[in-house]
Amino acid sequence: MSNPANNWQSPDAEKRLARRYSAERRFKLLGLSAVGLSMAFLVFLIGTMLIGGLGGIDWAFLSGSDSTEPDTAGVWGAVKGSLLTMVVTIALALPMGVFAAVYLEEFAPRNRWTDIVEVSINNLAAVPSIIFGLLGLAVFINFLGMPRSSPLVGGMTLALMTMPVIVIAGRNAIKAVPPSIRDAALAIGASKVQTVFHHVLPLALPGILTGAIIGMARALGETAPLLMIGMRAFVSTPPSGITDPATVLPMQIFLWSDEVDRAFVQNTSAAILVLLAFLLTMNGFAIYLRNKFETRW
Amino acid sequence: MTPLTLLVLIAGLGLIGWLFARAKAQQLNTGRNALHSLPGHHGWYLALWIVLPALAGVFIWGIISPGLIHAAVMADPAAANLPAFDLERNAILSEAYSLANNPAAIAFNPDAEKLVPAVVAAKSKFGAIGAVLALLLAFSGGGFGYTRLSASFQARKKVERVVLLLLLAASLLAVLTTVGIIASLLFESGLFFSKVNPLEFIFGTHWSPANGSFGAVPLFWGTIFIGAIIAMIVAIPLGLMSAIYLTQYAHPDVRRWMKPMLEILAGIPTVVYGYFAALTVAPLVRDFAVMIGVSNPSTESALAAGLVMGIMIIPFVSSMADDSIAAVPQAMRDGSLAMGATRSETIKKVLIPAALPGIVAGVMLAISRAIGETMIVVMAAGAAANLSANPFASMTTVTFQIVQLLTGDQEFDSAKTLSAFALGLVLFVVTLILNIIALRVVKRFREAYE
Repeated sequence: MSNPANNWQSPDAEKRLARRYSAERRFKLLGLSAVGLSMAFLVFLIGTMLIGGLGGIDWAFLSGSDSTEPDTAGVWGAVKGSLLTMVVTIALALPMGVFAAVYLEEFAPRNRWTDIVEVSINNLAAVPSIIFGLLGLAVFINFLGMPRSSPLVGGMTLALMTMPVIVIAGRNAIKAVPPSIRDAALAIGASKVQTVFHHVLPLALPGILTGAIIGMARALGETAPLLMIGMRAFVSTPPSGITDPATVLPMQIFLWSDEVDRAFVQNTSAAILVLLAFLLTMNGFAIYLRNKFETRW
Repeated sequence: MTPLTLLVLIAGLGLIGWLFARAKAQQLNTGRNALHSLPGHHGWYLALWIVLPALAGVFIWGIISPGLIHAAVMADPAAANLPAFDLERNAILSEAYSLANNPAAIAFNPDAEKLVPAVVAAKSKFGAIGAVLALLLAFSGGGFGYTRLSASFQARKKVERVVLLLLLAASLLAVLTTVGIIASLLFESGLFFSKVNPLEFIFGTHWSPANGSFGAVPLFWGTIFIGAIIAMIVAIPLGLMSAIYLTQYAHPDVRRWMKPMLEILAGIPTVVYGYFAALTVAPLVRDFAVMIGVSNPSTESALAAGLVMGIMIIPFVSSMADDSIAAVPQAMRDGSLAMGATRSETIKKVLIPAALPGIVAGVMLAISRAIGETMIVVMAAGAAANLSANPFASMTTVTFQIVQLLTGDQEFDSAKTLSAFALGLVLFVVTLILNIIALRVVKRFREAYE
């Protein structure tokens, strides 16, 4: 027999090893249960909404507008308000975000001023959404006197919130385009602007669009900033333009959840299902775009 | 002419200018290298000269014309017998304006109805003047641009300069937004602090805006208790362990499915979480409180809001932890495993200590997100400003009070509504500090391993 301290087969060492292995298994189980618990919560949440709301979805619900009677209340007014708001948001945030991303990635000189722009974009992406609501209230409504509760003001507020998201996604997408593409275009005599708009931007577009859709999905589910600018009006007819008083889908959920009448519970869950369906479609489309057009150089 | 048709008309003129100038440039293009710029650049040059002056005209007219319309309406005989008192007169005027926009509406005030024809007349008159002005600008701009077109004209350089200006302006919008947020919060908070002592606001312990006492400490405490304590007790272990399991243990196929599933949690709108917290979680928490013998628990509890908020934050913590663990060099992990450590020992003794700065920064970002979260607390946390450490008590937060103070009837100079902006300023500053520190830590941490 050799020295017992070096003997890996000794009962002492085996016991130690068994303890370490069981600690390993416990740790792995702990990780698995963390994932499981999070998933269970997701399933529980969606399950609750499905059980509560699936019975409430029918054509009358999808085509009606808000009403004081739970039976006749529907979501179309809110959906239309959401659509109008999103049109304003995307019309402002997408071009502005893409232009800012192009400028910062391709043209901006490295100086103090560019640093300020970069820092403020990164910070805006992390500012709580309710602060944007305060900005919209103070500037768009009180200072510029724009119509309250309108999709125009709501869309502008959400555009300010969405723009940093698009800028950050856009910069990453532009950064991913290899320099060889730029060099090739410049070498055959294209100007810098031509290089960017004819070659870099089209190649970066799938990435930019993915980021834009994710930003829009976030804006679509946003309630707090719109609460600030008064988009909680009772709207019994769908808005016909971007300056009419309107409400949006998440706001409709919030308003119905506040109703005393218990019959609105089904409406609320059903409206949540409609909202989740929209978000799922948008995110699914973003994932599809990413998988279909993602290029690895 | 409505603004929309005017804009379409201007765009149409721009298109015509583009086609025209391009055709003209093609005509000038007599042979090789005869043109400096491509015909398309000439087209854009003329189109810009048509559209930009016209749009500037429309914009400026949009600022001036409401004043002119107002003056014209006031000069109308129907306005002669309006009450002199400002508030009442403005109410009648604004009703007349909205009636003019929407003829189907029913007038409440007969005076307003009498004013409608005058408003309509003034609006159409000044609208027409504006349209003519815009078209005039479009044509004169186009005419000027046209005279510049020639074979040697460097249209591309001019157009590219405009494009660069546009790009610069877009990037300045971000700075402008930041400045706008800071300026509006500071301005309104300044008004508030001219009425209420800032020290009382920051250190006072009694919050009751209706009675004029603005001690915000209970709000700060509620925010910290829900967002930074309860939510983090849920989110940090679950998020961290999920990240460790998915990156270190799970089969790649499992990870490919589980990670997006986990991220769905972050994509669910907060109003849905709020509804869920209020309708499902809060009663469960209350029953639990009764079970463990808490007397008279409230239906709106800090615990319910904090729990749900923690769940919402899980994917955030998990993806930050994921990034920082992935940034630890592979050699460190291999070294530990080669020495005979088990996987869990490697994770606990090597990976987590090495990734700690990144994880801490991630937690700070998560806290900044949690304290700025609004809908969950609005729907589940309650309005009572309690200063207690009892998780079953109803508690209120900064964001809840902002919503409470600014919805419903409001007059804009009362201390009550202005206090919402002061709360917003505090929230903005705190989240900003958390973000800046966290981003700096992450940056330094990345550099350490590169």
